This record gives sequence, structure tokens and C-alpha cells, in this order.
Amino acid sequence: MKNKNFGSTTPLADNITIDDDIPAGVVISTASDSFHARRKFLSQLGLGIAGGATVTGSQPVMAAVNAATKTKVQYAMVIDTRRCIGCHACTVACKSENDVPLGNNRCWVEYTEKGSFPNVDRSFLPRLCNHCSKPACVDVCPTGATYKRKEDGIVVIDDDICIGCKYCVHACPYDARYLNPVTGTVDKCDFCFHRVSQGYEPSCVNTCQGRARIFGDINDPESEVSQLLAKNAHSVLLKGMGTEPNVFYIDADHSDPRDAIYQNRYIRVETHRKVKERR
Amino acid sequence: MEHELVWGLPVIGYLFLAGLGAGALVTSASLLLRGKDNPDFFRLARYGAVLSIPTVALGTALLVLELGSFQSGHWFRWINLYTVINLSPMSIGSWLLILYFAIAAPYVYTFLVPNSHSQDRFIDLRKNLAYPCIALGIGVAIYTGVLLGAMPARPLWNSPILALLFLISAISTGIASVMISDWIAEKIGTAKWCAENLGWDRERDSSGKASAEYLLASTDTIFIGFEILVIFLYFMYAHLTVGDVRMSIKVFETGGALTAHFWVGVVLVGLMIPVILEMQKILPRLLGNGPYVHSGAVVFVVPVMVLIGGFILRYVIVVGGQLAKLAGI
Repeated sequence: MKNKNFGSTTPLADNITIDDDIPAGVVISTASDSFHARRKFLSQLGLGIAGGATVTGSQPVMAAVNAATKTKVQYAMVIDTRRCIGCHACTVACKSENDVPLGNNRCWVEYTEKGSFPNVDRSFLPRLCNHCSKPACVDVCPTGATYKRKEDGIVVIDDDICIGCKYCVHACPYDARYLNPVTGTVDKCDFCFHRVSQGYEPSCVNTCQGRARIFGDINDPESEVSQLLAKNAHSVLLKGMGTEPNVFYIDADHSDPRDAIYQNRYIRVETHRKVKERR
Repeated sequence: MEHELVWGLPVIGYLFLAGLGAGALVTSASLLLRGKDNPDFFRLARYGAVLSIPTVALGTALLVLELGSFQSGHWFRWINLYTVINLSPMSIGSWLLILYFAIAAPYVYTFLVPNSHSQDRFIDLRKNLAYPCIALGIGVAIYTGVLLGAMPARPLWNSPILALLFLISAISTGIASVMISDWIAEKIGTAKWCAENLGWDRERDSSGKASAEYLLASTDTIFIGFEILVIFLYFMYAHLTVGDVRMSIKVFETGGALTAHFWVGVVLVGLMIPVILEMQKILPRLLGNGPYVHSGAVVFVVPVMVLIGGFILRYVIVVGGQLAKLAGI
């Protein structure tokens, strides 16, 4: 057991106690814990200032602020674009599962074409709501209709409260939101929480042919998403927006047609949505 | 290029009308407090007061028409705005509008009662209400800019100076609306009808007419001057920066989608020509070379141009902000 792979998903056998792992395990965990603690403290400091707390706020105050904004379970998705073949199965599954009206998408796949023959590339970028830890849409909602669920960190919209003012549609940098013409409320991906709360995977994950979409709790270090993120270089979309997305991409192509202006090469992105261009 | 506007003409109309009404209320209260009970100042203050509520109410109604819930048949879902208060600019703005109507309504009423004049029994109430009216007018006007400015995902809007630009434009259009109302009321005979039937402005001596007109025109000139300055700063900083904001301002630069609308509609028609026309008239008195003389250009041509410019400003900002995209993904 001493040589146990840290990233293995094999559960510890019942007859082996945690103590057996001390020589290897403790060193790794303390190093990573102190690293995380430091990062956590820094982010708490930021939160404290933003929340109007005193700069000299003590640790309990910080912990309270942290507890108020972070969820115990944070569902997340890792999208391994190396495994995506651009088949749109997720798009179709999502539309069918969530009864998404014609002309709208909660989930979509963008194709990126670039270069000139023979140096060309085509890549796929599956898109959905990023279920941000600091959602810009929630900040602007005037009625409190959209909120981040405390129990699992999913950003949802309450159809009975939403008035359809479309303020959040502007605020979302990922263009994940649209006005549902049937209900008159704003709609978006909700990680299929009706399925997830029953123990099923979201519909898009369930249907993905190449297993490019992996879903799980990012706060659980043993989950597949945590382990993938630990072992792979990954990125999020529009990191500079400060929204702290919970959809992570492995090997994503961040090329955008607007990059082509200064990179002097051909880049074309098709969203496969009603509006073909990225917002 | 294909685009889908999330916010269209109703929102543009709201931003314009709410700014105009709030500006008219600020103008009205300022004229009342500055006027020292002069009947001419009082008369112009009444025009501002009369305009302040219907314009903002019409704008708010447009806003409700634009709601997705209203369009899908949930006609009173917007009441949900008043079940909570949070830090969303729209939530604060909604409550601010309620407060605006609550305080402006009695203020306006004191002007509308028959035989109201600058020395009637409401004199103290009217003046006491004028102070909060100025604050609320500024609040409603500035909130329209904060509403747009709160989102990093819309780089063209995400500027603190946008709120200032909208505030200045709102007061400028408010002054213009008061000046043009006076002109229209005289021309079509409403003023005469009101004097005969409601007893408004019976004892007109016109002693303060030029003085009030000068006050409005000179204030308007100052505000337009500041507006030009704010637009210059807005452009300069967007032009000097990099990334999203630099890309977003391209809609107003050569070859942009709204270049002509902005430079002709807002800058030339809405700001440059009015400020030149007004300067010609106010400079003699401003520099002490002579009196201010009543001018048709100042009371009609300038206000029309300022109102057109104010509307186009809201139009290009709202549409341009939605055309301007984030750079990269």
C-alpha cells in the first residue's frame, strides 16, 4: 500500500488503516494542504475586503465569509477536448432532456478551423454554463431568481420568480443564457440537477460518445474530475473575467476569430447556434 | 455579421425618458430654489414638474413591456422586483423609482392645483420637497448608467464614466425639455388656456423671463461642455488601453458599425451645434459685454437638437455595447 498511486480511484481496503500510508501520504498532503491553505487565505482576504469586512478580520470571520460563499459540494465538469469528436450528441441529448425551445441551446459544440493548407487544424469546444464560483449573473439579478445552490454549487434559475429582464444575459461572459420564448424566463444549463440529485449524471455526460465530458464534485479529492485536474494541464474560459468557472477544459483551443486580426492567420469559429458567431 | 439584440428600443426609450424626466425634475427644483419666488422661474419650474412624472412613468412602462415574462403573458410578474432588495443595480433602481414617484408626486401636485403661484399656501412644502427631488432626480439619472456599467462582460459599458455621461446628458435633456415645453405652450396656446381655466400664471410681468432663460441656457452650455469632456475622456481611455475595451470602442471608430450615428447624431447634432448656438447668445452677458436677449434658437432649435442627441446617445451606447464583444474565449 505504500506504493499506492495517489491518483488511483481504488478505495482503501478495509483492513488497511490510513496510518499505513504515513510515509508517503503525509508528506504529500501537508505540502498540498499548506499550499491550498495559503491560497484559500489569500482568496478569503480578497472576499473580506470586497464584503466590507475589516482588513484585520480574524480567521473565524474569514471562515464565516468563506462558508457563506463556498459550497461543501461543488459539482464541476472536465471536458477533455482530445476526446471530443464534435458529434453534437450532447447538444441533442440536452435539448431533448430539458425541452429546450427551437433556436436556443443550453449546450452546444463550437468548431474552430484555422490555418491554411497544409498547416490546418480543426478542434471542438463543447460549451455550457460554467456554474461559476463567482457568478456574474447572480450578482445582477434584481429578483433573486437566479442563485447558486448551497448544497451543490449549481447555478439555477427559479422560473416562478424570474421576470425575464435579461440583465443576466448581458452579465454572463460565456453567453450561456437565453430568454426562453415559451416560459418568458431566462434559461440555461443547470447541470441537469433533476438527474444529478437522483444520482444520475447530467444528460450530456451520459450520452457523450468519447467520454469527453466528465462530471463530479471538485471538492472531493477522490472524484474523477479532481484527479483529472490534478494530473492534466487544464484551463477555463475567460479566466480574466474573475468568475472562477467550474467547467474545466483539457487541451482546449482558445483561438478566436478576433485573434486572427493580430496573428495574421485564418481562424473561423462556428458556434452551431442560432447566432453563428461567438458573442 | 449577425447580431441579436438582447435589449432593444424599449430599453433605449426607457434610458432616454427616465433621464429626461429625472433631469426635468432636477431642473424644476433648481429653478424653484434659485428663482426667489419669481413668477417666471416658477412657471418654468412647473413645466419641469409636469414633465417629470409622465416621462419616467412611460419609460418604466416601456421597460415592463420589454420583460420576457410580460411578453409571455405573465403580466404582473414584474412585481417580484419589489419582493426583495439586493445589490443588483436593477433592484436598487426599481426601489429608487418607487421613491422617486413617492416624493415627486406631492411636489408636482403643489404646482398643479388651480390658482397655484409662487407665493401660495404650498410655498414651504414645495421648497422642502424640492431638495429631495434634486437628490432623487440625480439618483434616477445616474442609475441608468450604473445599470449598464455593472457588467465586465460588456466592455463598452463597463466604465465608471458612463454613469456620469448619462447623468450629464439626462440633466441636459431635462433642461432642453423645460425650454421647449415653454416655447410649445406659448405657441399652441396651452399657456393661455391654463391661465384662463386653471388660474396659472395670471400675473405675468416677464421681469424674470430673460433671466430664467439665461440661467437655463448657460447651465445647459456648461453641461454640454462637460458632456463633450466626458466623451473625450471615455474615448481617450478606451483608445489608450488594450484588450476588450480597446476592441469595443471600435464600433465608434472609422469603419465601425455606429460611427456615423455617434459622430453625427451625438457629437455634432447633440453637442457641438447646440453649444455653439448657445454660446453665441450667452457670451455677451457671461463676459459682461451686454444683456442676454431672448432667442428663438435657444428656446427651440437647441432643445430639439439636444433631445435628438440624447436619444441617439442612449441608442448608440445600448446597441454598441451589445455589438462590442469580448476578445478571445
